[in-house]
This record gives sequence, structure tokens and C-alpha cells, in this order.
Amino acid sequence: MRKYLLLVLALVLVVSFTAVGFAQDKTEITVAAGSVGKELELTQKAAQMYMEENPDVKVNVLSTPDLANDRLGLYLQFLEAKSPKVDVYQVDVIWPGDLAQHFIDLNEYGAEKVADNHFQEIVQNNTVNGRLVAIPWFTDAGLLYYRTDLLEKYDRKVPETWSELQETAKYIMEEERAAGNPDFYGYVWQGNAYEGLTCDALEWVFSNGGGTIVSPDKKITINNEKAIEAIDMAAGWVGDISPTGVTGMGEEDARKMWEAGNALFMRNWPYAYTLGNADTSQIKGKFDVAPLPAGDSGSSAATLGGWNLSVSKYSEHPEAAADFALFLASEKVQKMRAIEGSFNPTIKSLYQDEEVLEAVPFFGKLYEVFTNAVARPSTATAPKYNQASEIFFQGVHSVLTGESDATTAVQYMELDLKDLLGYETGEPRQP
Amino acid sequence: MAKKAMSELAKEEQKLAIKLLIPTFIILLVIALYPLGQVFYTSFTNRTFAGTGTTEFVGLDNYQKLLAFSIEELPPVVDEETGKVKIDEETGEKVFQSPIQVLPRQPELHRPVYTFNFFGSKYVVGAVTPDFIRAVFNTIIFTVFSVLIETILGLGVALVVNSEFKGRGMMRAVMLVPWAVITVVSAKMWQWMFQPTRAGLFNMLLDKFGIGTGNFSFLTNPSLQMPAIIAVDVWKTTPFMALLLLAGLQLIPQELYEAAEVDGASKIRQFFTITLPLLKPSVAVALIFRTLDSLRVFDVFQVLLAQKRYSMASFNYFQLISARQMGMASAIGVIIFILIFFFALAYMKALGVDTE
Repeated sequence: MRKYLLLVLALVLVVSFTAVGFAQDKTEITVAAGSVGKELELTQKAAQMYMEENPDVKVNVLSTPDLANDRLGLYLQFLEAKSPKVDVYQVDVIWPGDLAQHFIDLNEYGAEKVADNHFQEIVQNNTVNGRLVAIPWFTDAGLLYYRTDLLEKYDRKVPETWSELQETAKYIMEEERAAGNPDFYGYVWQGNAYEGLTCDALEWVFSNGGGTIVSPDKKITINNEKAIEAIDMAAGWVGDISPTGVTGMGEEDARKMWEAGNALFMRNWPYAYTLGNADTSQIKGKFDVAPLPAGDSGSSAATLGGWNLSVSKYSEHPEAAADFALFLASEKVQKMRAIEGSFNPTIKSLYQDEEVLEAVPFFGKLYEVFTNAVARPSTATAPKYNQASEIFFQGVHSVLTGESDATTAVQYMELDLKDLLGYETGEPRQP
Repeated sequence: MAKKAMSELAKEEQKLAIKLLIPTFIILLVIALYPLGQVFYTSFTNRTFAGTGTTEFVGLDNYQKLLAFSIEELPPVVDEETGKVKIDEETGEKVFQSPIQVLPRQPELHRPVYTFNFFGSKYVVGAVTPDFIRAVFNTIIFTVFSVLIETILGLGVALVVNSEFKGRGMMRAVMLVPWAVITVVSAKMWQWMFQPTRAGLFNMLLDKFGIGTGNFSFLTNPSLQMPAIIAVDVWKTTPFMALLLLAGLQLIPQELYEAAEVDGASKIRQFFTITLPLLKPSVAVALIFRTLDSLRVFDVFQVLLAQKRYSMASFNYFQLISARQMGMASAIGVIIFILIFFFALAYMKALGVDTE
């Protein structure tokens, strides 16, 4: 019996060692990717495409939290530990400044040749001290989703100003409720205390002529009448045209309510377009998108979002990882993602591509919105953007939940930002 | 002579004991004391999390930022025309200046935490990091209420499953299910039940009973947040409490009850004179376990409230992860450590859980 046991043990040992030996033949890289909506599925598909072309590389896709703040938390833990476990990171457009020191210069790995094809603003944003630390993957801008069927039914047009939106939303909401849907609301958006609220609130404030919190020339501009007015306006929606629970909603919460057919308008990113037209959606084919309404400034504002790909300095296979990152950001993959997931390409030529335009018609129509999107003040506040943004969204959130009034909130924002950044106050930037 | 030989033998044994304990000490040193010391050390610096800049020694700055507070009287607003104190026309009460004008701004800006009335004057408590002060209060309120309710309910459950009935074994197993669910999973489950629309269980039920319009926002309404989160914790840890108390109940000899029965003591009398006193050691242990546990609460707060309302631990997390202030976060860690240490001491004293 003993003999057999030994034999078995020896066999197990041999087998496990050879298994390790085989595994080492393949270069293994891991990409940390988002999983909002269809994101994860499409990244996995792209990884599959890459592995078919490069059979000696194995790509693992690591799913990361939905909320940007949580995702950053996870990344920081990998980076603090200088961990080689993740090779490619999907990074938000606001992070390159803060995280640059952890990433390699992609220009040294052949990104120079392709960088010109991408939107220059984003390439600029991702270039820190002359190093391209992230290659643009997809861009985002806040959009107004609206129900075409309901606007038609009640003979209303797509709102161009916030007050029109409020008026239309209230009217149709009341009519729809009377018609038998008590769960119907006028407008859903992102009101939870997190980065998403910074995006939404920046749109209200900037479109109303209240500036961009901190202006690009490093002046704190948030404490002004127009900003107070815009935040008060949004606080008035809560419990009226928007559910009280909107102060706990992220992108996905808003989308679920929207797809259940319980909202007339929604503010969201482009990714919700394809999903809203999926078979599981109650409103398939019954909606369209438009630029967000304008405030007192007379023009509409959409916050610039979007994600990029960076390669970790601590990666064991920087060359394979950089090659994979450039593949993901290539025209081929961006086109696939645009058609199947309505992710906005960062490559200019794809906005003239017929197949793309057929799948996502608004890419052509709203091209201006994407190129004129307003950036969050991440460059002016680097490397403290996260703290600055937190001061802003916590202040706005306290107004939305009624714990504070807008005048006091912006006063504190100003004082807090002065404390944090040490900048002077100044006049708000106009669109 | 004999005594001396004994002590020599004892010395030998002691030496052996020390030798045998060395591995344990080393492990403790590496996995407990070293990180703890590291946290203490970092708390005196301004280190950035996952940053490559230089770290400086800042002394007690971090502690000062967390704990500094001030109490100021709010002067009433004087009407410039009449020279009299301004009165709000609607409420008929005096109008006071807003805290922002009164609280100190140098060397650090103080923000209001709480305002209160005292003999007709209005006062404001200000702090440099009001979120931390609030986090401490949230945690203490959470701890007091959840532990209290859990103990009472747990005792009830323990008494029930301790009595003889058909299917008792089954019942005991079922009772443990909520406790066996991972906290993050159960918190997520509750989050769905707390949905602010009729899609959420509670809103649906309340609506059926005609209360509200089906849009109670449990997780964003400041006055509903704490009750909601306490409910989740009570649901989850009552079984644990019941389990500990059940073990205590089973230690009470049956004869005592039989004797009491013979003497004609009522069931209620039996409970208060036999069960409760003999259960005291188990209750004490259970209370210490649960209190120290809830003071460190992180997962329910992180999943359900995130940055809307903090517990001490979740505030610590966001200081580290979101603000990347590793020095500050370490200082919070140290404060939590000291606070829990005092709670443990107080419990031991109050409940007489000594080595004897």
C-alpha cells in the first residue's frame, strides 16, 4: 500500500511540474477592465481576437468595480504593492496626471505612429511631461436620452433648455401617472455621492455659466450666483420630476429604470444606446439622444468622460502588454466596440465609417458634442483632483438631500478648495 | 533544600517553555506587531498612498487635524436699521449668524458639525475634519443599537431553540443561515430590498399597506440611513448572538429548574433568578465580541452607503483610497485601535470578566 502511495505522490509531483513548465511557455498578461453594461463582454471578445492572432500570448481579463472611485481604489492597491499581477489598466480620463509615475511611456513601444489618428485633446490629456502614459480607448460625453414615442404622444419637442426639460417632464409625468403608471418619472440621472455626480453637476453649472469649479488657469471659481442657481435647480428636481432615490443612483441604476420604461428623460453616457435597443429593453426603438439642455449661458455642456489604456511599470512583460494595449486601441477593435456596444471611438476616421454610422447614427449627428465636451478640472488640480472632486460632489450631494443650502455649500467648497490647492479665487470660465 | 531543587526544576521548565514559545512570538511579531508599529510610524508622516513623492515627518499634525474642535457662540444677527435683534417673521425665532462666519479659519478651517441651543443662545461645534467626528458618532450609535437589539432578539431565539420541540435540530441549523451569508452579499441583497422605487421589497410592502407613495429612499434620506443599516446588521448577526447564548443556556443544570418547579417558582421568576444570572458570563463574552466587532464595522457601510455616510473604518478606507492620504489614514487606524482598546477595558471592568 505504502509503495503505491509513494508512486502516486511521485506522479502527482511530476505532472504538476510539467504543468508549470507548459504554462511558462506562454506569455500571460492581465488586463483590468470595466464591466459596466456590455464592457466586459466586449473586452473578452477583443482579448480572444488578440489571442487568435498571437497564439503565444494568453490574456486574462480582470473584472473591476463599476463605480470609478472603487476602481481607482483597487488599482492603487496593486500599484502601491508594485504588483506585476495586472499588466494593462483601463484608466479614466481624469487619472493620467495622478498616476503617471506608475505607467510606461507608450511612445517607446510604438504608439507614436498611431497617436495622430486619435482625438488630439485626449492624447494631450494623456501626455504627462512628454510621456504618453495612456492610449485613448473610448471617449464619452454626457447625453440626453429621450422617449420619442411619449414626446410624440403629448406633442412636445425635445427640450433645449433646463426649464423646458423641467416643464415637459412634469407635464408628461403627471399625464402618464394618471394613465396608469404610478412609477413613472420625468428625469433620471446620477445623483449618488461619487465621481458621476461631479460629471452631472459640472454640466448643470457650466451650461448655466457657472464655470468649471477650478478654471484651467488655476483659479477657484465655484462660488458664484450662476453655480448656486444651477445646483438649486437640480435640488428642486429631487422628489419632483426625479425620484427621491436619485440621490443614490449611479449610471446603471438610472439605466435600469430607463429601460424598464419608467422615465421620460435620462442623462447618461453613450454606452446606454445599444443596451436600450437590446431585446431585453422595454423601450427598444422608442428613444433617441440629443445634446443636454442649455442653461443661462445659452449653450449646452457635456462632461468629457472616457477611458484609456495604460501599461504598468511593474509588468513582467511590458512589450507584450503594450502590444496588447495598442491592439485594443486599434481601429479594428474600436470599430467592433462602436458597432456592438456604442462605445465612442477615439479615432477620428471612424466617425465617417459607414458601418459605424449605421449601427450608431447619433455618432455623426452629435460629433460636435463629443469634440466640444467640457473637461473636469483634473489638469488644473493634479495630483489632487480626486480630493477636489470629492469636495465638490459631497457639497452638491448635501444640497440634493436637503442637508445644506446651495449658498452655504458653495462657500464651503471654495474654502475647502483653497485649503486643499492654495489657489486664488477668480471669474468662472464661460462656454 | 527541597525547595531550592524545585525551583531549579521550575527554572528548567521555564526555559523550555520560553524556547517553545519563541516561534509563536516570532509569528506574532511579524504578522501583528510589525504592521501595527508601521501604522503608528506612518501616522506621524504625510505619506501618500501609491505615490512616489518624498515622505516627511509631520509629528502630531494628522492627529490634530482629526481631533481638533472648537465651540463658538453664534451671535444673533442685528438689524442695521433698527439696531434690534432680527426675528424670523415666519417662526418668530431669533436669527443667528451662519456658522461659516463664526468658526475659526486659522490655522485650519473649522467646519460645523453640530449646532445646539443652550439658555437661549445658540452654539456651534466646529471641527477640522467633521466627517471623522460624524463617523465616530455614526459608529457608536450603530454599535449601541445593533448590539442591544441583537442581544435581546438573540436571547429570545436562544430560549426558543433551547426548549424541547419537534425539529429542533433543523431549526438550529436554519437559524444560522443569515450569519453564514457573506456580509457583502447580504448587504447587496438588502440594497435591492431597499430600492427607492416599488421594485424594492420594502417600498412595495409599505405601499401595499398604504404608507407613502412607494419611494422611500432608505439609503439616501439622512434620517433613514442609520435605521436601515442597523436593521441589516441585526438580521445578520442575531444568529451569532443566539448561538453564543445557546451555548450558555446549555450549561445551566436542569436540576435547578426542577428544584424551582418543586418550590413553586413561576416561569418568569425562574428566568430572572436562575437563567439570567447563570447566563451572565456568556452574555458578557457575547457582548464583548459583538461590540468590538461593530466598532470596526466596514462592509455594510461600504456597500450600502459608500460616501454618503461613513463608519470609522469606511472613512479610513476613503481617506486611504480616494484621498490617498496614507499618513492621515494611519492616524485614524491608531485612533480606532485606542478607542476599541478602551471599550474592551471598560467592558472587562464593568462585567467583572477577570482572570480569576
